[in-house]
Amino acid sequence: MYGGGYIFDEPNKRQLNEEQLHDDPEKLADFEARIARGEKIEPGDWMPSEYRRQLIRLIEQHAHSEIMGALPEGTWITRAPGFKRKLALIAKVQDEIGHGQLLYNAAETLGKSREAMINDLLSGKSKYSNVFNYPAETWADVTVIGFLIDAAAIVNQVANAKGSYGPYCRALERICYEESFHLKQGHDAFIELATGTPAQRAMLQDALNRWWQPIMHFFGPPDKSSVHSEKLMQWKVKMASNDDMRNQFLDTYVPKIWDLGLTLPDEKLRKDPDTGKWEYSDPDWDLFKKVINGGGPCNQERLNVRKWAETHGRWVRKALMNPKDRIAAPVA
Amino acid sequence: MENQSLDPRVNRLQLNPSGEAVTVQDGENWNVFEVFHQEKRGAHHEHVGCVHAPNAQMALIFAKEQFGRRKKCVNIWVVRSADILAFSAEDEDMFANNLEKTYRDASGFKVMEKINKYRKSTRHDEE
Amino acid sequence: MTKNNALIYMLTAMADDALILGHRNSEWTGLGPVMEEDIAFSSMAQDKIGHAWALYRIQQEDLGGGDPDQFAFLRNEKDYRCCHLVEQPNGEYDFSLMRHFLFDHAEAIRYEQLQQSSFAPLQPLARKLKGEIKYHTLHANAWITQLCRAGEESYARMQSALNACFPLALGLFEPGGEAEDLLVAEKVYPGEKALQQLWMDRIYAILSAAALNLPGEHAVQPAYGGRKGCHTVHLQPLLEEMGNVFRTDPAATW
Repeated sequence: MYGGGYIFDEPNKRQLNEEQLHDDPEKLADFEARIARGEKIEPGDWMPSEYRRQLIRLIEQHAHSEIMGALPEGTWITRAPGFKRKLALIAKVQDEIGHGQLLYNAAETLGKSREAMINDLLSGKSKYSNVFNYPAETWADVTVIGFLIDAAAIVNQVANAKGSYGPYCRALERICYEESFHLKQGHDAFIELATGTPAQRAMLQDALNRWWQPIMHFFGPPDKSSVHSEKLMQWKVKMASNDDMRNQFLDTYVPKIWDLGLTLPDEKLRKDPDTGKWEYSDPDWDLFKKVINGGGPCNQERLNVRKWAETHGRWVRKALMNPKDRIAAPVA
Repeated sequence: MENQSLDPRVNRLQLNPSGEAVTVQDGENWNVFEVFHQEKRGAHHEHVGCVHAPNAQMALIFAKEQFGRRKKCVNIWVVRSADILAFSAEDEDMFANNLEKTYRDASGFKVMEKINKYRKSTRHDEE
Repeated sequence: MTKNNALIYMLTAMADDALILGHRNSEWTGLGPVMEEDIAFSSMAQDKIGHAWALYRIQQEDLGGGDPDQFAFLRNEKDYRCCHLVEQPNGEYDFSLMRHFLFDHAEAIRYEQLQQSSFAPLQPLARKLKGEIKYHTLHANAWITQLCRAGEESYARMQSALNACFPLALGLFEPGGEAEDLLVAEKVYPGEKALQQLWMDRIYAILSAAALNLPGEHAVQPAYGGRKGCHTVHLQPLLEEMGNVFRTDPAATW
């Protein structure tokens, strides 16, 4: 699961122009024509260096978000109530690792090794979705994550699956299929609490209140404040604007939440019947930036846990390393 | 040492809170193997992705769960990515004229046209 | 001792072993040594929990037992029949892998025998789980063999994991007294001693291929007691954690 909105390092005009000086104009024209025709770009194809750089960044951060996302939900694996919930939660967290695996492979086709990506995650150089730097305090948090954050991720991933890079699209196709299970099991567990005892409902309402702002942050800053990304849109790296995705999410899921008699902590939240657009209070974007830069409640723990896993798995990996092996990147 | 995590699993780990850098050595995630699965007996094996593994035996074991844990699957192949030989992307033009060579294709032969023409001509004769 | 009670004794022991080990192994989900192995190990943890669920359901449907969720999550510690091997904290991956190897071969052998059990509900279950467990032992064998051939450090780690796990693993075959005698007489299964012998033969072949030294069966003290409800200090906290949410309102649905 992942929300890509903010993560783009928008290329500034000067940098883009410089990069493009090095790109063969004829090849660039062919490349752009191919994308305009709706064709996919494959690993061996010529591509502008900026396209490669942005894609590596995007896919890598998506991959990091999957394996870091496994941590807040993993919080409740050993406490999940009953067989069905226990099995579904383990399977779901397992899928997140599986998604990371698929995405790292897709990024590797662009020339960056999995090891290099993991190192950039561990050093903090490369980011992951902000939402996973918040704690999952109660069982209800897991249901909110499973239902609403996965739903938000699906909005983003379905859009990205129509992008231009073949290996990323193929990974997303499989991921979206599995996300539909995540959403369904999350929704099921969410509804169980919503329709359960007063204590269960109260627990759910509390979790919703705490997660609403991170969810509003999920798709990234509003379009008006983010740098223009025409080039990335033209290259089908970025497939939808942050506000459009946020609006699509609100349109589908807010009614489902209200239907259950639950409330959302934003008095301004309403759909404008004339424009069809949702209105809401601006979430705290300074907080958003602070969390990205390491100041969230769980950033430190998440990274330390990831470092633990890498450190304690090292002897296993090293034991079976074969330095004489011919190693190649994934083919497709 | 007790961590202050909400995750009891994490509280059982000996985390290093010093923020010390951890790096993974190149090659530590092993080699790459392409994975092909067969959905049912009689079907082709199809490429579904790849796994990192130290050797083919482990690749097969890993592929079984990463690519065969959902939906129907009856068999899996793995092959080292380095052993795949493929054309480069710009060689796509070698295939470009395929569709013109209709003499290789059933659609290139208009049998019914000829039959109809013959029928038409014989009907004329009878009249 | 009635046959019903003897069956409940055996099925509870098998199910509790699978549940507690599956629970332990699921602690690795998301934290494994490499993503591919993380996924494989997590699948097998799910399988084990699934085996436990199936066994509790047989108790409910055929032996007058209670609701599987309530039974699995809410009993008192002394009513669990799991062995000490599965209660141990995960330790490092060497310990977890060795435990998985020893346990899954024992499980494989037990279910192979149960395909011919006179207790009919176990036959289809044993047949159904055959392929799943085959994968588990294939996975375990590959890891044990490869790590033992991969240099001194990993060989030493696996040998010391074996030394630690072996006495605990013998607890998988703790004699079941009157219940066991009755089940053997009724041809429900061939008894713990027979299973242990089959298991020793099976693991010995792999361990010697890996050049590991099996501690003498008679030189070690088998970790018995679990089947009688005497557990290590590790079980009680595990159970509190496992039932943490469920216990807040056992009457609610979750």
